Amino acid sequence: MTMPVAQTETVISDEEFAKFREFFYRKTGIMFDAQKKYFAGRRIIDRMDKLGCATFREYFATIRFEASGDEMQRLVNQMTVNETYFFREDYQLKALVAGILPELAAGRNDGRPIRLWSVPCSSGEEPYSLAIYILEHWPDADRHDIEILGSDIDSAILAEAATGVYGERSLQRLPPELIRRYFSRVKDRGYRISEDLRRSIDFSQGNVVDPQFMRRFRDVDVIFCRNMLIYFDDRSRRETIEAMYDCLSPGGYICLGHSESMSRISSLFQPRKHADSIVYQKPSR
Amino acid sequence: MALVRRNVVATADDVPPDRDDWIADLTSGDASIRRRAARALSRMPDAVPVLCTHLANEPGLSVRSIILTGLIVHRSAAVVNGLLPLLASEDANLRNSAIEALQQMPDEVAPHVESMLAHPDSDVRIFAVDVLAALAHPMVPEWLRRVVTNDPHVNVCAAALDALAEAGEPDVIPALQGLAERFSDVAFIRFAVDAAIRRIRGR
Repeated sequence: MTMPVAQTETVISDEEFAKFREFFYRKTGIMFDAQKKYFAGRRIIDRMDKLGCATFREYFATIRFEASGDEMQRLVNQMTVNETYFFREDYQLKALVAGILPELAAGRNDGRPIRLWSVPCSSGEEPYSLAIYILEHWPDADRHDIEILGSDIDSAILAEAATGVYGERSLQRLPPELIRRYFSRVKDRGYRISEDLRRSIDFSQGNVVDPQFMRRFRDVDVIFCRNMLIYFDDRSRRETIEAMYDCLSPGGYICLGHSESMSRISSLFQPRKHADSIVYQKPSR
Repeated sequence: MALVRRNVVATADDVPPDRDDWIADLTSGDASIRRRAARALSRMPDAVPVLCTHLANEPGLSVRSIILTGLIVHRSAAVVNGLLPLLASEDANLRNSAIEALQQMPDEVAPHVESMLAHPDSDVRIFAVDVLAALAHPMVPEWLRRVVTNDPHVNVCAAALDALAEAGEPDVIPALQGLAERFSDVAFIRFAVDAAIRRIRGR
């Protein structure tokens, strides 16, 4: 009789996974609970296969001791798959209208506009979401001037943002009445955002690690910088956050993506909780 | 409509200040001026000694942060020489910032590890172990093994043991068992050694 031969399969033990997730958390601020072992384990094994690592121990030594950090960065990229769409991570939009904007407006008696900056803004879903959410959900929106800026390193994607045409997938989180209110159908191409909104956003092309570019932005009240820094190395992350510190007004805020944590980057900002969201505030003085 | 559009205008300096101007600005009472000076000096390799000296006396956390980032970018022997004395600083923020910066310069820190681990102050040796705990250098497990084998202070050994639980390979297990024997009267060490060995074996 022939016994079935078990196919050799890479396995990561619970103890190895515990070691990995503590290390990964310390490096990135991303925590995988035990339920995420399959998700994270699959991606680790993919990377092990690509590098030809026979054991988890061998792979762990690579990410732990490689001075360049290149493989660690590849793994981070594997773990953080991103796409952009309207009202993404809308709990932060709630935090904006429920806590951040009222606080900023209460301390503003000089008529200066409230300035928001979406960076990277990609094809525009985020800055347009800010505009729509504020108009729909902040009762004091008409009493203040609000500037919304959007920046990205990619000029082609910025051209898409300025054109403002989106497919169904980008709009999946928007209630139908908002689509009716702010978009019009474009034959065979999807939906185009209203001209008023398109004209209200100031798009600019540039790189956040370029000091010259960053000096253009001053007196910003809220920076939405979501799911970008996770792709940077430690040095670029620090430089970017420190440059953003100077872009912000005293008491201004940075909103990071759900998998990002300021405590892994810098101690310059104070964590604040608005609605159910943790955001980061530049000290007032 | 509440939304207004106003193009952000570039603000450029008319005449770029020179190195001495930036150094003078480091003493400004305005932290934003000191940050700008620190950022400019960070791009000048010959300003490393000035920045290291200023770092120890700089009161503003935001300015310190920019100086440290600049020093990390330079990551030279001169930077390491400037940061190492800060491990003995009474200022916890400054000390921790120096540890974080040193962790990012493995090749430059390596020649100093032996002297760091031989420092007469056990607290400084703990901070040296903290540097190793996140240093991306292949000698880290061996350096930590020497600590758990030789260092006379239980807290220094405990810090190294903690780091070895992550960085260690099975060949350090005899050294860990030796540590448990050396401090057999310290229950915590026995517990931590068992946990570290389990972690290193992966089961």
